[in-house]
Amino acid sequence: MRMGFFFHVGRYFSMLSKVFARPEKSKMYVRQLFLEIDNLGVNSVWIVVIISIFIGGIMTIQFAHALANPLYPNELVGLGTRDTLLLEFSSTMLALIMAGKIGSNITSEIGTMRVTEQIDSLEIMGVNSASYLIFPKIVAVVFIFPFLYIMSVFFGLLGGLLTGPLVGVVTVPQFIDGIQWLFYPYYITFSIIKCLVFGFLVSSVPAYFGYYVQGGALEVGKASTKAVVNTNILILFFDLLLTRLLLT
Amino acid sequence: MIDVKNISKSFDGNQVLKNISITFEPGKTNLIIGRSGSGKTVLLKSILGLFDIDEGEIWYNDRNLVKMSNKERKLLRSEIGMVFQGGALFDSINVEGNVRFPLDMFTNMSGPEKTQRVQFCLDHVNIDRKAYKLFPSEISGGMQKRVAIARAIALNPKYLFCDEPNSGLDPETSTVIDQLIQSLTKEFQMTTIINTHDMNSVIEIGESVLFISKGEKEWVGTNREILDSGSQKLDDFIFANKLYAQMKKGK
Ligand SMILES: Nc1ncnc2c1ncn2[C@@H]1O[C@H](COP(=O)(O)OP(=O)(O)O)[C@@H](O)[C@H]1O
Ligand SMILES: [Mg+2]
Repeated sequence: MRMGFFFHVGRYFSMLSKVFARPEKSKMYVRQLFLEIDNLGVNSVWIVVIISIFIGGIMTIQFAHALANPLYPNELVGLGTRDTLLLEFSSTMLALIMAGKIGSNITSEIGTMRVTEQIDSLEIMGVNSASYLIFPKIVAVVFIFPFLYIMSVFFGLLGGLLTGPLVGVVTVPQFIDGIQWLFYPYYITFSIIKCLVFGFLVSSVPAYFGYYVQGGALEVGKASTKAVVNTNILILFFDLLLTRLLLT
Repeated sequence: MIDVKNISKSFDGNQVLKNISITFEPGKTNLIIGRSGSGKTVLLKSILGLFDIDEGEIWYNDRNLVKMSNKERKLLRSEIGMVFQGGALFDSINVEGNVRFPLDMFTNMSGPEKTQRVQFCLDHVNIDRKAYKLFPSEISGGMQKRVAIARAIALNPKYLFCDEPNSGLDPETSTVIDQLIQSLTKEFQMTTIINTHDMNSVIEIGESVLFISKGEKEWVGTNREILDSGSQKLDDFIFANKLYAQMKKGK
C-alpha cells in the first residue's frame, strides 16, 4: 500500500497528540528526561565543538580571500564570520548535522523497540508508549539546541581567531574588532527561535519514522535514512519560512 | 476466565480471523496452535485489545473488552501479564530494572518493597542474583524468556499471555520454560494463554488446545485427545513430523 504525504502528516499529528497527553507517572518522565539530555545533548557537545572550530577557521580564510581588495578593511573578515555563524551556520547547518546524528539515533532506537515488540510490551502494561518514549526526547532536544547554538558560535569564532592570524590573513586585534562591528542582538533572538523549531523537528520527525516502522532490522535502517532526509528537507523549508517571516 | 465470542478481524480486506469462539479457563495452560501465519498472534493481540476486532465480544470474567472505556481498559491491562515472542525486554535497562519497571510505573510501593517483589519474581524463574545487573544483550535467550516471565508476573496478573515462548530455544530449555509457565499458572491461578507451534509443548502442557487453521477454529480438546481428533488438518499439522506419525501408528 502506497501512503501519501497527507497520510503521513495526519499520522504525525495524531502521534503528537498522544505524545503530549498527560503523563501517568511524572517521576518516571523526569528520570527519562535527564537520561535523554545526557544521551542526546551532552554526547553531541564534542562533535559540535570540533565542527564549529573547523568551519569558523575555514570561513575566516574564505572571507579574507573574498575581501582581499585593499579597499575593504580587514575587520570585515571578523564581521562576516560572525554573522554567518550567528545567522545560518550555528543554527541551520548545525541542525542539519544534528539531524544526522541525533535523528538517526532516535529513529533506530524507537524503531528497534517497535520491531522487537518492546513498544507493544509498554502498551500492554498500560503505558502510553508514544508519550513515555518520545516526549522526553523532544523536550531534551529542544532544550539542548540553544545551548549547542551558543557553543557553536563561540567555538566558530575561536576557530577564526586561531586560524586567521595563523595563516596571516587577519591580525588578532582586527578580528576581535571585526566581531564587534555592527552587531545586532536580534540575530541571536532570531536564531534561538529557529533552534527551538529545528530542535522540535530533529526529535519529533525521526521519532515518527521509528515509531511506525514495520518489519525488522533492515526496515529500521531504511527508516533512519528516510527520517534524516525528511528532517533535512523540513529544516530547510522552515529556515526559509522563518527567515522570510522574522528577518525581512 | 476469558470468553471469546464470534470474533473476526481483517486487515485491508484480508480476513485473518474468522468467527472464532473459545473459552479459556483459569488455572490451566490454554494453548493456541497452528501453522505460522495461521493467525495466532493476531488472535492473541486481539484478545489483548492491541488490535481492534471487527466483530464479536471478548469477556474477561464479566467485563466485555469491546465495550470498555479507556479507563477500564487501563485497569484491565494492570491485571494482564504478557511474554512476547522475542522476550521484548527493554534493552536499555538491566535484568532487575526490567522486572522493577512495572512496579515503578504502576504501584506506590516503597523501594525495599519493590526490591523484595523483584527478588520474589526472579527467584520464581530461577534467575540468580549475580545476573541482576546484566543487560538483556548479555544473557542467553532462555534467560531472557525467564526474565520476561518474571516481568510479566511482577504485578500479580490474573491473566498471562505468551506468544511463542519457546521460539529460538533448544528443546531442553523449551521444556523448562513450558513447565515454568505451567507451575506459575497453577500457583497463582492465572488464566494463561500460550501461542505455540511446538508439538512438544502441546504434549507437555496442553491442558486445553485450540487448533486454528487459516484464521478458523478447527478443533478444541486436550493433549490426550489430540491424536484422535478426527480432523485431517490437525493430523497434517501434527504428523508433519515423522516421529509423531510413527507414534500414532504404534500407540
Ligand atoms: N499488523 C498487520 N497488518 C496486516 N496484516 C497482518 C498484521 N499482522 C498480521 N497480519 C497478517 O495476518 C496473518 C496471520 O499472522 P500471525 O497472526 O502473525 O500468524 P502466526 O500464526 O504465525 O502468529 C498473516 O497473513 C499476516 O500477514
Ligand atoms: Mg506469531
